[in-house]
Amino acid sequence: MNVISLAPIDWVIILLYFVLIIGIGLYLRRFTKTGEDFFLAGRRNSSWVAGLAFLSANLGALEILGWTGGTMKYGMAVAHFYWIGAIPAMLFLGLYMMPFYYSSRIHSVPGYLKLRFDERIRLLNAVSFAVMTLLMSGINLYLMALVFRTILGWDWNLSMWVSAAAIGCYITLGGLMSAIFTEIVQFFLIWIGLFLVSVLGVMELGGFDQVFANLPETMSHVWANTGAAADNEMKVTWLGIAMGLGFVLSFGYWTTDFLVVQRAFSSKDLRSARMTPITASFFKMALPFIVVVAGLVAYRLSSDPSKGFALLPHPNNPNELWNDTALPLLIARYYPPGLVGLGITALLAGFMAGQAGNVSAFNTVWTYDIYRAVIKPDATDAQLVWMGRVTTIVGILLSVVTAYVAMQFNTIMDYIQAIFSWVNAPLFATMMLGMFWKRTTSAGAFWGLIAGMITSFAIFMGFKLGLVPHWLSQVLTFSDAPSDMSRNLWQATWGWVVCFVFTLGISLVTKPKTDEELQGLVKGLTDTTEKQALAWYSRPATWAALAFAMLVALNIYFW
Amino acid sequence: MDKPGNNPEPLPIWFFVGLILSVYGVLLVIADFLPQARNTVLAETHPALWWGIITTVGGALFLVIGLRGRGQSAKEQDKA
Repeated sequence: MNVISLAPIDWVIILLYFVLIIGIGLYLRRFTKTGEDFFLAGRRNSSWVAGLAFLSANLGALEILGWTGGTMKYGMAVAHFYWIGAIPAMLFLGLYMMPFYYSSRIHSVPGYLKLRFDERIRLLNAVSFAVMTLLMSGINLYLMALVFRTILGWDWNLSMWVSAAAIGCYITLGGLMSAIFTEIVQFFLIWIGLFLVSVLGVMELGGFDQVFANLPETMSHVWANTGAAADNEMKVTWLGIAMGLGFVLSFGYWTTDFLVVQRAFSSKDLRSARMTPITASFFKMALPFIVVVAGLVAYRLSSDPSKGFALLPHPNNPNELWNDTALPLLIARYYPPGLVGLGITALLAGFMAGQAGNVSAFNTVWTYDIYRAVIKPDATDAQLVWMGRVTTIVGILLSVVTAYVAMQFNTIMDYIQAIFSWVNAPLFATMMLGMFWKRTTSAGAFWGLIAGMITSFAIFMGFKLGLVPHWLSQVLTFSDAPSDMSRNLWQATWGWVVCFVFTLGISLVTKPKTDEELQGLVKGLTDTTEKQALAWYSRPATWAALAFAMLVALNIYFW
Repeated sequence: MDKPGNNPEPLPIWFFVGLILSVYGVLLVIADFLPQARNTVLAETHPALWWGIITTVGGALFLVIGLRGRGQSAKEQDKA
């Protein structure tokens, strides 16, 4: 029996969503003619549009389902992923890194690496990013089908192919413009479709204070129980959270992952580009009011047998409860017909927008950093747009293939979810040194990045295959019994450290580029001032300070 | 999207946001008056009704913002 059954009005709501997104694709087709239109949405967005798209590209349904379920396991600590694990990096990107990205007028992050260093590091990053993006897109598709089959009884093949066809349709037609439009629609759908779950949960429990009442000590704080790894459910210390999540993983993702940074590139001017992640940071900080509150409500309900709330078993492992079903079960508990359709549409939109983000980033990196860089350097603008459209369809098909592979071999998920710490965490060291130290050389960056990626991968495989002795595990993770989460944070940290040290060391003994070659790419050789003098209330620094103050206040309040 | 490409201006994204929210809001209000096939917790508070009204009002605001933005950009184009 399905967890949720749909009434005709729910189907109408779901169908209208498909009509809208395909209609948007068809409508935007006529405005998408040049490469700048297709790959960078005409580079004329305001910071509001780019900022909401920047956040939405990261705000997939997987994240919402996963962290609502994760809250049942880890408690309040999940808020770290929305606060220290995101906000400082977003503000840093807006204030300090965006001028180098935006001023160099590049199409992609690998494009910056080409200008700053050389072709080989661009290719290394382009290929690793393309592979990572396609795999993530495929896994996203697989998990979407798994969730909808479990809670709604939908057919695997039908839900994968229908959503893939819809995404392929509107991205092929409108490129990044379509992706951004639908990401913003998705942002609002998630809020109106899912925030009500938290509201009704709080109402049922009798008020906001009751949500936090009677929580175990190990789950009820964000920082107070991180002095020792054993005192919290994540089994990680404050140092692991601050270094692994707050610094390496967070900065690695938010400042170098082209999937999100591409949205800022679509801004109309430097101020808008800098404001893009800063604007997004305010909405990011608010997301725990959906995710964490709903997770705590689910935890409280499941702890009280009289409430009749129990998680479903995992379809791939019936002995294990599947935390990702917490949010769908809450939807089934509170939502009458109509609202159920809205809640399912919000999840569907979250899955599809996440997928569209991956595909639009993939087609840009493939077209500019592999096709034009290696295969056809003299490609015309029309040929690039054509290649972007073809790549979109190929990317979607490869995602579907990956989804089918994941369906057959579930263990592939463990590997794919760790890819990020192999690719992005070391890359942040490369970017940091490249942007802020002009002595960084191409050889240092290339070999440092390879060393960092290998280190992170080797630690992951060492733990996976049980090859890491206990003493080394203690050294690597600062914990006697590290959780998967703790290992993930530390393998990323070590990847970053090794990349940083190798890049630094090799750069000191190899020849750097001249100042003339680094104009507009490195601090000290780039004009980062705005073209027009801005009033204090329009300055990115003012808004970043406000966001940072809110971050501090939230952490103190929920300490 | 405010002004994509060097082409004529498309409708602002806020128009589409307003459109979908308004339609969904009205559907939610209607849904509250339809016979309920199953009982849900807190059904007596009519969540579809008041959430539908909030969504409709929010959608209408975005529609106004989107249409005003469209009008302003059309005037700017006429001047140019």
